[in-house]
Amino acid sequence: MSKVLDAILCKGLPARDIKNANRVNLLALLWAGTLAVTAFSKEYTWHNTMLFISIIFTLHTAIGIFMVLSFRKFLKELDDLERKIQLDALALSVGITIISFSSSSILSMVGIIEKLDQSSLIMLMAITYMIGIVAGRIKYR
Amino acid sequence: MKNRLKVLRAERDWTQAELAENLAVSRQTINAIEKGKFDPSLPLAFKVSRLFSMPIEDIFEEEAVD
Repeated sequence: MSKVLDAILCKGLPARDIKNANRVNLLALLWAGTLAVTAFSKEYTWHNTMLFISIIFTLHTAIGIFMVLSFRKFLKELDDLERKIQLDALALSVGITIISFSSSSILSMVGIIEKLDQSSLIMLMAITYMIGIVAGRIKYR
Repeated sequence: MKNRLKVLRAERDWTQAELAENLAVSRQTINAIEKGKFDPSLPLAFKVSRLFSMPIEDIFEEEAVD
């Protein structure tokens, strides 16, 4: 159990990597926050105004770009082993997501299941990515 | 790839954590390299070589390929 906890809490990583990871996490939270604000704003009259759409679109896109650049910096400066774990987790995440969606599209084409939406795609990628990281950290610990 | 990291570290009486600190990597990275689970990148191999003042090929050895 302590192995799993250590793996989740990235125990032992150099301070530089934790600082970079925290920056990426903060930007990811802000990025998700702009999506949440858009969803919750539907209840208000200003939801469809050009000003609100421009601000939220610019913010969401700009934060997204900063998030990708920060993630790139994080990977570039990352501890050797942790970089391998992250890249393996990304490969697992992208691979499983592509296979799951192409397989589910066959089922949805013949009407067995409903077509999956974008949020399922993001959710599946995030979950498989997290599983990949924790599994990698346990494997090499 | 085989390596002599554990022996060289022991000769200097360093812990894995101390070696990791000297190389600015995690202790897990040193542990994985010593156990042969993970091969270091070329920049890290050069860092190791500089730290021990030895050529890379005296620390890391390619396993025989048939």
